[in-house]
Order: sequence, then C-alpha cells, then structure tokens
Amino acid sequence: MGVSVYQTPAFMLLTLGFIIVFIMTAVFFVSREFVSIEILIIAEAVVVSFILIIGNTIIGSMEKLARVNKFKSEFISIVSHQLKTPLTGISWDMEFLMSKHSDGLNSKQIEILKNIEALNVIMAKMVNDLLDVARIDQNNFFTRKDEIDIVSVVKKVIEKNKALTLKNKVNIDLLVDDNMPKIIGDEKRTEVVLDNFISNAIKYNKENGKVIIKMQKDNRRAIISVKDTGIGIPENEQDRVFEKFYRSKEAASRETGGTGLGLYIAKNIIERSEGKVWFRSVENEGTEFHFSLPII
Amino acid sequence: MENKRVLIIEDDLTLRNVLAEFLGSEGFLVGVASDGEEGINMIKSYNPDIVLLDIILPKKNGFEVLKEVRDNEGKLSVPFVLLTNLGSLDDIEKALELGATTYLVKGDYQVREIVEKVKEILSKEK
Repeated sequence: MGVSVYQTPAFMLLTLGFIIVFIMTAVFFVSREFVSIEILIIAEAVVVSFILIIGNTIIGSMEKLARVNKFKSEFISIVSHQLKTPLTGISWDMEFLMSKHSDGLNSKQIEILKNIEALNVIMAKMVNDLLDVARIDQNNFFTRKDEIDIVSVVKKVIEKNKALTLKNKVNIDLLVDDNMPKIIGDEKRTEVVLDNFISNAIKYNKENGKVIIKMQKDNRRAIISVKDTGIGIPENEQDRVFEKFYRSKEAASRETGGTGLGLYIAKNIIERSEGKVWFRSVENEGTEFHFSLPII
Repeated sequence: MENKRVLIIEDDLTLRNVLAEFLGSEGFLVGVASDGEEGINMIKSYNPDIVLLDIILPKKNGFEVLKEVRDNEGKLSVPFVLLTNLGSLDDIEKALELGATTYLVKGDYQVREIVEKVKEILSKEK
C-alpha cells in the first residue's frame, strides 16, 4: 500500500497525544478559576483515559485493515505468479507446435490450436492484470525504459484487433505526424495501454462507427490520441474512469467480460513512464483518450 | 550467429526445451542446466557467449549464480539475460545491481522474440 508517514498509526497516535495535551493544558488553566484543582485533575484523567482507549481501538482496527490489505496483495501476487509459469509453458509450447510442426496438421487441427492459443492469451492477460494491480498496491510496480518505435507498436495493436474491428463493423483511421521520433517507455506495457484504449474504442462504438488514432509530437513528447464515435461516458461517472474496478453501467451491460482494471493499469503504466493521460467524453457522441510519453 | 554458445539455466522442463529448440534451429549451440549449481559449473566448462538465467531455481537461485560469477570474473564478462516471471521492482533492481545485462518477463514474450533479443545483445557485444 502506498502509505505515507503521515498516515501511519504511530504518527496519528503522536498527533492525537499532542492535541490532547494542548487541550487539557488549556482547559486546566481556564477552569482552575472555578473548580478545585483536585477535581480538575481527576476529571482530566478520566477524559484522557477515555480518549486514549477510543484512539487505541481505532488505531488497532486501522492496523488490522492494513494487514488484511497487505495479505490480500501478497496472496494475489503469489497466486498469479504460480499461474504464470504454466501459462507461459502452454503459450511457448503452442508457438513451438505451430511453427515447427504445423505442416503435418490438417486445417481443423490448426483451427483448434489457434482457439486454444487465443483462450490462453485471455487467461494470461487476466493473470497479468491481477499481478499488475497487486504490484501497484504494494508500490512494487516496475516499467522498463526501452526505446520504442511507437508507430509500429500502434500498427501491431490495430492488427491484433482486426477480428474485433470486423465483428463490430468499425473503421479505423490512423493519422501520423511526419518523422515520429522513438519514445522511451516499456515496450510490452505500452502495447497493453494501446490495446486497452483501442479495443475499448472498438467495443463501445456504434455500428459503422469510427476510431481515429492520431500520433503527434512536440519537442519533448509524443502524444497519442484514440477517438471513438461511441456511447461516451456519462458525466457523473467521468471522475471515476481511472479507478480500480470502474465499469460504466452502459459498458457493463454491453460486454460482460471486462474486469474494470484496464484503465487503472494503463494510467499507472503511463505515469510510471513519466507520461500523462487524459480524456474528453460526451455521452452518445464519443470519447477521446490522450496519452503522452517522453521522446528520445 | 553461427556457433555462438548460449547457456540456458532454467528448471522448468517445458520452457527449457522450447527455448533450446528455437535457439538451436537459429544456428546457436545450446547448453542447458536445470539448477543453479549445475549452471555455475556449466558457465566454467561450456564457456558460453551469453547466459539465459531463471531467478527461481533449485540449489542456488539466479541472484546467487549471478553474484558468484560476477565476483569471480569481474563485471565485464559474459552477458546475462535474467528471465523472470515476476517483474517486480525489487527483483529487477537487484538483478541489474548484480550485473545482469537485461531482464525479460517470460510470460510477456514469445519465444521468437526472446531469440531476437539474444541476437541483438550478441551483436552489440562484438
């Protein structure tokens, strides 16, 4: 958990202590004009013990909550790590089978293998998302600093989403500034970010809708924008878009497969890579997501 | 990349075999080890041009292997590519500090992409 020193129970207890001492001293000096000192001391002692007991209970339950949260994150990272090894094994074996031995297979067998591979990709993505969220919560999230040809990554992601594009009858336009420079970021994770924005723009679009992907540059950064002509995000939900597990009601009713982690992870990836992410959305007109990443 | 020696230190049989198969078909000479101690011995006897090293290994883990080799041979010896499944900040910082050339999160890459990375690193080494 990303807890600062000001949020630790010990710091809170200390602050509470200072406040009590201050108030008690003030009360003591003001009221000794009216009440005898003995009664005042007893009254103050009772009040102080009462406050300390309550304070202790509150701090105790906060600590317990923090422990449960920590345990939860650790549990998720252990489980997802254990799942990742066999999933990687399946994925590499499939790659081997298809590249070295696919000559001996008939088209039905190849179709089945491709289907298994696609399902494995879905499962691996889910496990990766969970692991990323646990990492973010534990403040142990790492992004590489690769030099990336971002144009080719965008093209790769568009290609990857081709089936979805056809299924949802959506058109994709790609507009790229001349001489786009290479950017600095995590190659695989930037691909995850783009896949999130682009697949969302396709899924939550209207029939025969458009997705416009723009890639621009200024002297310090590259800005990538993904615009759709879809259902948009309701105004009262807009400040929750990057929250963990956020899913708009409309989105959830259209597509039941999502976890609501994609945009939360995307934001963290971009910010860890020293970039920014923002969006503009009008209900029933569409949404445009933008993100920037530093260039070399 | 003809005749370059790659050593794979990986305890998972499937991952080890697939990596060896792909690298072999690209003309690399491939040696394998299934635990950390065997890995250290192979580095001495097989004299690899590059090492692919898993982190979680029996007998000696990847960090221990890396440390032992770097301590004995100095920082400028054979390049190490750490293969992890974790990709956590702590592990990666530790690996780079111990002198790993780079690291790859296994599940994020296809085998042929790993082969490409190996070629890339070896061409820079020359």
